[in-house]
This record gives sequence, structure tokens and C-alpha cells, in this order.
Amino acid sequence: MTLFRIPGIRELWAKSYQGVTCEDIPWTPLNKPLAQCRIGLVTTGGLHLRSDPPFEMGDPDGDPSFRTVPCDAEASELVITHHYYDHRDADRDLNLIWPRDVLKSLESAGSIGPLVLQSVSFMGHINGPHLNTLIQESARSAAQEIRKQQADVVLLVPA
Amino acid sequence: MQRELERQGLATVGLSLLRKLTERVKPPRTYYLRYPFGHALGEAGNRDQQRQIVRDALSLLETVTVPGTIVESPYRWRRTRFGPEAFSSGA
Repeated sequence: MTLFRIPGIRELWAKSYQGVTCEDIPWTPLNKPLAQCRIGLVTTGGLHLRSDPPFEMGDPDGDPSFRTVPCDAEASELVITHHYYDHRDADRDLNLIWPRDVLKSLESAGSIGPLVLQSVSFMGHINGPHLNTLIQESARSAAQEIRKQQADVVLLVPA
Repeated sequence: MQRELERQGLATVGLSLLRKLTERVKPPRTYYLRYPFGHALGEAGNRDQQRQIVRDALSLLETVTVPGTIVESPYRWRRTRFGPEAFSSGA
């Protein structure tokens, strides 16, 4: 984990990582000014409500499910369940993986439209058979959830 | 996830900490930072930095016209200083 703090080491790992390779690139153009856009938020930082079930950490291939996280939740109501990155700083300041306060301040400044009510959270360490579940099932359900929130644009934040 | 959202008609921008992985997955718009895992928005408590990065990323929604574009952040981990007046609309 310490080595992964060095960008070059991470890139070497990423080069050998047996993940998904894609060819086509889906594309939706922005069709109105950002100041009028409702903003959706997705994190892969493993954030969830303390009252929700934690992400499964016992499976070395990760957990392809997602949780919805209310954008008005208190920090004390939230917790990060994700053992594959150092989240000590994110525990102190959730904005590092879930920039709710940052987006709210941009909304107050009039730079963007309103933040949606429910954000979406995954744990980002997903391998093997779960990759298929993520792509075929979870990502679609999560996208439907975000559309239900009437987001126009979505910001995705990794951990 | 980002690709699925875009397929469902939502314009998206993603932050990335792994350029090689992003090049393979090919999301539509990416803002890449040479920052440690768990720190895509920068340092804890540094709201100016966090705000700058979010503004930079969101600005790609307005400026990027080529699908699959990866814009690299100019910021250096713990070296670049951020202030409330530092932000501009571009990356």
C-alpha cells in the first residue's frame, strides 16, 4: 500500500492488471450550461451509511454492489469500508473521495446547478467474476438510480 | 460505471489516479492526477485545492469534444499551492 503512493509504481501495476479493455467510447454531449445542470456524484471509495451493510471485505475479488449515500448525510452517519487504500485522510475529510461540500460550495457560488439528493458509492477494488456483475448489473442499476435523481451530469471520483 | 452513465444519456467526467487503466477502459472524459490513492481531490482540509480540482474536472464537460480525452492535471502533490483566487475555468 505504501508503494502504491508512488505514481510510477501504481502505473506499473495498472499495466499488468487483468481488467477490462474497451474499444468503443459512449458519448453524451453537455446540452446546457453547467450552472443549470443538476450534478450527480459517484464515488468508488467504499463510503456508506453506518446503518447500511458494509462492503464485503472477505472476498479477494471485492464487492460489486453499490450503496446510495444521501448528499445531506452528516459525516458522523457515514463510514468507509474499503481495505485496499489508505483512507485515514479521507476519514478526516470525506471530500477526498466524496466531494459533497465542495460541490455544495460551487452550487452556492452559482457555478453549477443543484447537487442530487442521493449519490452512489462503490468499492473500487473489483476483480474476476465480479467485473461482469459490475458491468452487466450494478452499473446499470446505479445509472438508473442516478437518472431517477434527474442528474444532467455526473462527477465520478475514484479512491 | 462512467461508460454506462454516458450510454444512458448523462454527460460524465471522471477523476483518475491510474492513467494506464483509464487508457484501457476508455471513459469519455477524464481528469488525471498524479496524486496518491485516496487523494483524488488532494489534501485533507485543503478546500481551495479540492475546489480547484472539481472545477477543473467539471470544465472538461464544456471543453472536451473528443471522446476518450484524458487531461493531465498540472498540480504536483503537496508542492502546488492553492489559494481562493487561484482558480481559472480551464485545466
